[in-house]
Amino acid sequence: MQATVLESWVLAEFPTPDTLLDATRKMREKGFEGMDTYSPYPLHGGSEALGLPPSRVPFITLCAGLTGVITALAMQTWMNTVDYPLNVGGRPLLSLPAWVPITFELGVLFAAFGIFFGLLGLSRLPQPYHPVFESEAFRTASTHGYWLSVPQTTGTDATPVMDQLKALGATQVTLVTGEKE
Amino acid sequence: MAETTATATLDPLEPRPLVAPHHDDASLNETLLDHVWRKPGKGWFMLFGMTLSALGLLVIGVTYTLARGIGVWGNNQPVGWAFDIINFVWWVGIGHAGTLISAILLLFQQKWRTSINRFAEAMTLFAVMCAGLFPLLHTGRPWFAFWLFPYPSTLGAWPQFRSPLVWDVFAISTYLTVSALFWFVGLIPDLAALRDSSKTKLQRTIYGLFALGWRGSGRHWHNYKIAYLLLAGLSTPLVVSVHTIVSFDFAVSLLPGWHATIFPPYFVAGAVFSGFAMVITLIIPARKYLGLRDVITDRHLENMNKVILATGLIVSYGYLMEHFIAWYSQNQYEFWTFYVNRATGPYAGVYWLMIACNVITPNIFWFRKCRTSIPIMWVASIAVNIGMWCERFIIIVTSLSQDFLPSSWDIYTPTWVDWSIYVGTLGLFGTLFLLFLKFVPAVAVSEVKELQLELKHAAHQHGTDDALAGAGTLTHGAH
Repeated sequence: MQATVLESWVLAEFPTPDTLLDATRKMREKGFEGMDTYSPYPLHGGSEALGLPPSRVPFITLCAGLTGVITALAMQTWMNTVDYPLNVGGRPLLSLPAWVPITFELGVLFAAFGIFFGLLGLSRLPQPYHPVFESEAFRTASTHGYWLSVPQTTGTDATPVMDQLKALGATQVTLVTGEKE
Repeated sequence: MAETTATATLDPLEPRPLVAPHHDDASLNETLLDHVWRKPGKGWFMLFGMTLSALGLLVIGVTYTLARGIGVWGNNQPVGWAFDIINFVWWVGIGHAGTLISAILLLFQQKWRTSINRFAEAMTLFAVMCAGLFPLLHTGRPWFAFWLFPYPSTLGAWPQFRSPLVWDVFAISTYLTVSALFWFVGLIPDLAALRDSSKTKLQRTIYGLFALGWRGSGRHWHNYKIAYLLLAGLSTPLVVSVHTIVSFDFAVSLLPGWHATIFPPYFVAGAVFSGFAMVITLIIPARKYLGLRDVITDRHLENMNKVILATGLIVSYGYLMEHFIAWYSQNQYEFWTFYVNRATGPYAGVYWLMIACNVITPNIFWFRKCRTSIPIMWVASIAVNIGMWCERFIIIVTSLSQDFLPSSWDIYTPTWVDWSIYVGTLGLFGTLFLLFLKFVPAVAVSEVKELQLELKHAAHQHGTDDALAGAGTLTHGAH
């Protein structure tokens, strides 16, 4: 059996989205890394405050969509032109215009799957457990709370970080420790 | 629930508020999730009983059809497509408003969509499910329905990809899948909110399971925002393509009354027209029952009525053009179909009902009084749904029952099985919808909170509360 690896986070709740973003920015300027914000809805300027690189979802979508288009064209050409040529009223065996609708639909279908699974994959969801859920107060993050988490090496003293967060306007600060995913 | 009573005294040129101004995140959360935690009232159970009984009719109709074959329907030669295709097109059309509201209005940044999109998307999903039943049963042997898809069979045959009917299979299944994904992605943050405001362990576990462990992380929102936008971007051409392909089922054939190039745009407009009418029909009782008048305000209803008016005019233009081309082409069959068969033939009653419901009714929405009167718009929305059903009946049945050769003409009358399957799908739709209203937030809570913040910011910048109402002015050219 493997020894349990623990990880810790300092959680701080802020009263408004603006104070949260402001604190995030300042903490990042101080050199803290791997922070995360939590809010019931996407915050305007939230990605910038965390300093996140552009999302990779659009690229995944493009690849998936093109895969769909190529699959559809190849499928229809092979099935109706090569493997099972069907002559109805002398229409050309390679009837590209007639293949546009299905090509479009499959392109959309694959792209949508790309978006969905791309989103889940990049967010590492489904992930029913995360150390932040150890805090009962954190449950407001999905309803009306604005939280910031700062990673903390397990076993070290978290008071300096907590003090800094309080100075930035946090209304409550806690330390959570849980199993690493 | 506090109504936005102040609207009556406001300047008529001033837009009405999108969210009643007295809410913050916590109170929105409480109001919008309340109906999930509350025990359903007597009214809910009564409606549920009604829809379940109607669903029973579906079970009877489908069982009888499966046991005896589709000969128990009223279909005959020449009317091989009848209730099954009428209802299929009708239901698909109703579904389209959901996608339009959630996708197209999102891209156009119409802020008023936010309170009604979840509701309309659910309607899309359930309507497309009902729609899918009909062609499935119409195949006669639905247990072989997988023959419609290209799979390496021992028969060694592949589908004929030049046929609009095969396009339909792909269009409808893609539409159902993408709508479901879009709906679920939008739902994830709200499921997390439900998980975190649940009172019992069981609720917390079940909603937690569906929330996939969403914790509102900024790193997740970063991907989520763009993913949602892209799904909307994909759904927009998709919704147009779906009804276009449905219209190809008709337009690609050679029958008088079907063989027309105006069919795709005319079908798409008709779909949006009937879909918005259905949203109005359902949302008026639902917002009252769920206490959602703070977020689904009179402004939403008025805007939807404007869309009904606009699309109703497009549909009327479609009728006008069909009749004009029938005369202008001097094709005797076309002329006869439009001016003799439809207007004065055996189904003339249905035809004139269609004209009354689809051409005349929407014009009442030119008047602000009608656009804002709840009883009037509710009755009008039902009339539009009846009218659109009649339209599909007229297109399908008149053209088939009397085409080129009088010797092959025949009259179509639906049987009790046809009716019970149709009423049964209404029951299926109603049942699913009531369950949705019970278990899932009917309004996109996270989006309303975001909108509320945006409106507040706008109000701050203008230094006045008026902006709370003014932000998000409707652009009429959006459709």
